[in-house]
Order: sequence, then structure tokens, then C-alpha cells
Amino acid sequence: MHQKRWFSVVYMFLVTAFFSSIVIGFAQFTSKTVQVNEKLAFEKAVLTVLPGLYSDEASRLELHRTFIERVTEPDDLSAGAYTLRENGKIVAYALPMSGQGFWAPIKGVIGIKADKKTTTAIAFYEQNETPGLGAEITKPAFKSQFEGKVISGSDKPLSIIRPSEELGSSEVHAIAGATQTSVRLEKIINTALSNWQSQVDIKGAEE
Amino acid sequence: MSAVRAESETRKTVVEALWRNNPIFKQVLGICSTLAVTNLVLNTIVMCVALTFTLSLSAATVSILRKLTPRNIRMMVETLIIAFYVIIVDVVLKAYWPDMSTNLGPYVGLIITNCIVMGRCEAYGNTNPPVPAFLDGFFNALGYSFVLLIIATLRELLGMGTLLGYPMPYFSGPYWDRWIMMVMPPGAFFMLAVLTWVLRSIQLAREEKSK
Repeated sequence: MHQKRWFSVVYMFLVTAFFSSIVIGFAQFTSKTVQVNEKLAFEKAVLTVLPGLYSDEASRLELHRTFIERVTEPDDLSAGAYTLRENGKIVAYALPMSGQGFWAPIKGVIGIKADKKTTTAIAFYEQNETPGLGAEITKPAFKSQFEGKVISGSDKPLSIIRPSEELGSSEVHAIAGATQTSVRLEKIINTALSNWQSQVDIKGAEE
Repeated sequence: MSAVRAESETRKTVVEALWRNNPIFKQVLGICSTLAVTNLVLNTIVMCVALTFTLSLSAATVSILRKLTPRNIRMMVETLIIAFYVIIVDVVLKAYWPDMSTNLGPYVGLIITNCIVMGRCEAYGNTNPPVPAFLDGFFNALGYSFVLLIIATLRELLGMGTLLGYPMPYFSGPYWDRWIMMVMPPGAFFMLAVLTWVLRSIQLAREEKSK
């Protein structure tokens, strides 16, 4: 019986069906928890790019509370960005962005000052770039570059340039050896910023 | 008679897996994760537990199905079984320990391609009954784990002055200039090379003696 060719096919099919159904069932069972974790990771990213909200010592629950209490969900005024408001006035924006990275989607948040022109920080809550190369985008050395960069009016609001070149006011250094990640990340950031700027400006002009 | 034989077999498996044919410093398998996750002891412990779980259970499962599985598709079946256990580990970490899941990043998923797992399933699980296969997998994983833990302990201690995140006397003090290099990727290469050298020298010296 083992020699029959169809046996291999049927056998593989059955074994796959058996193991996959267990995995699927198990993943279903934990999917709620995973979703909550992902939401918390996103909230944490938003809090880190807004000024004065994030603390290293805060527990996940405390961070979640801070998010609920202080952060305003996107509305007409913010054009898709989460905002920090004081007495109804917008103090800072946290703009979510996402797109295809080198291996898998990169999702993050970029912080922008109330002037809508200066970036304050960047944070990533989902990425799967090459460890040691592309994944360095999550390290402070790379992220800290986004403090105080000016979003330029050209079609490239922010540029990621070679580490050897000199930095302008709208430029940050790429990670050496991670060209693909840098090119894709630049596109992700710029698409989000251009879209946001065009919408938020129109809203501003109407006021 | 057979009980005695079984006992000596198990003993042989243990000696082979932990020392004489250690997957890391003798066979030099599974080096990718060895280099990647040994910067902190806690990450290493979780990785070792994950590997032990995957390796022993997949070897046992392969062994249970060994008489049924057609030879020409056995590799596919083995990969499927390994992937099955790895995904379970991955999902559990994602759901209940998300921080650790981010720390280990893709390396949990990469257990699927860890040569030790496939190697043991092919070399042992395929031709032996489930219980010995389980034990073989388990002790090979221990052989992997103890080498990783030595590397991780030294790297964290020398590089950060801590163990499991707790500051250690002397090493976290002002007299110890932290070797940041140790927790960075190159540190893993140096440490693994030195450890392989030391352990193999001991092995060689013992062999010489026994001649």
C-alpha cells in the first residue's frame, strides 16, 4: 500500500489538515489576547511620540489609561492624526503610517508639533526587517534623528540619505547596509506626511 | 536484560547529545540563533525552552508516524510537524508574553529551520521508537541550551554588568569597564569561538588520555 503513488498525496493532505486545524483552532483561541497586545503596542507608540506622555516605568495598564485620558482620536481637525490637546487646543499630532517594508509591513507613528511642520519623534509598533540591519530603525540611534526635522514643502517632505552625506534640516541618515528598508521607509513616511499635509492644510484654510 | 540495555542506550544518548556529539560545539548546528539571542540571559532561557519543547516533541511525533510516512515525502512531513510546534510556541509568546515575543523577533519562527531539529528528526526520530526519540530530542536540546546559557551569561555579565537584568556586584560597579562589544553581534562570534575552542580542547585532551 505504501508504494502506491496516491497514498503519498492523500497522506500528506491528511497530515497537513490535521496539524493545521489544531494550529488554527489554537490561534483562534488566543486571537483576542493577541489583538489586545497589538492595540497596546500601537497606543504605546502614539504615547512615545507625543510630548510628555510616555514613561519607561509605567505598566501596560497605566499606559492604556494615559492613552484613553489624554489622547484625542483622529477627527476633522487632525486629518487622521491622533492629537494631544490642552484646553481644546492641539499641542501635538501623532500621525499613524504604514506600508510595505523589505520583508513585511512596517507600521509606525510619527510625532508632529502644533506648527504642522516640525517632527518630534518616530516610533514603530510593527516591523520584521532584517535583524542587525533594517531592524535598526527601531533603535534610539536611528529614531532620535527625527527630533526637530522640518517637513519640507517639496514632494519629498523628509529624506533618508546616505550615512556619508551631510544632513540638511529635512534629512536623516539611513542605516548602512539597509538600503531596501530605508527606501521603503522613506516612501512610507512621505506618503503619510504628504497626504496628511494636503488634508490638514485645506482644513486650516477653511477656518 | 532489555532493561539494562535500554538504560545503557539512554546513557549513551545523554553523553552523545550533551558532550561527545554536542550540537553546538561539535556539530556546529543551529549557530544562527546561538549568535542572535545570547545577548541577554532571559532571552536565551526562553529560546532554549522553546527549542527543547519543539525538538523533543517533534522528534517523538516524527517517530510515531515513522511507519506510516512514505519515504519520499518524509522531509515534507517532518517540516510540517516542526512548523506545527514552532507556531504553537510563537502564538503562546505573542498572546501571553508580547515583550519577549518582540525581543526574540523572528528567531522563534526560525526554529523551524534550525538544523538541530531537522537533523535529530532525520537521524534518530525517523528510525527509533517514540520514547527514545523524545529523549534524544530532549537531551540534544539540553546540549544546545547549556552552551547557549554559558555564552549568554558571559555576554550579559561582561557587556552589561547584570544577570537576568539584576546588577551584579563588581561587574556593575565603577571598577568594571563594561565591554559593550559583548552584547553587540560581534561579541557573540568571539564568545562562541572561544567557548568552542575551550570545550574542544578539553574533549581532545580526554581522548588523548584514554588512548
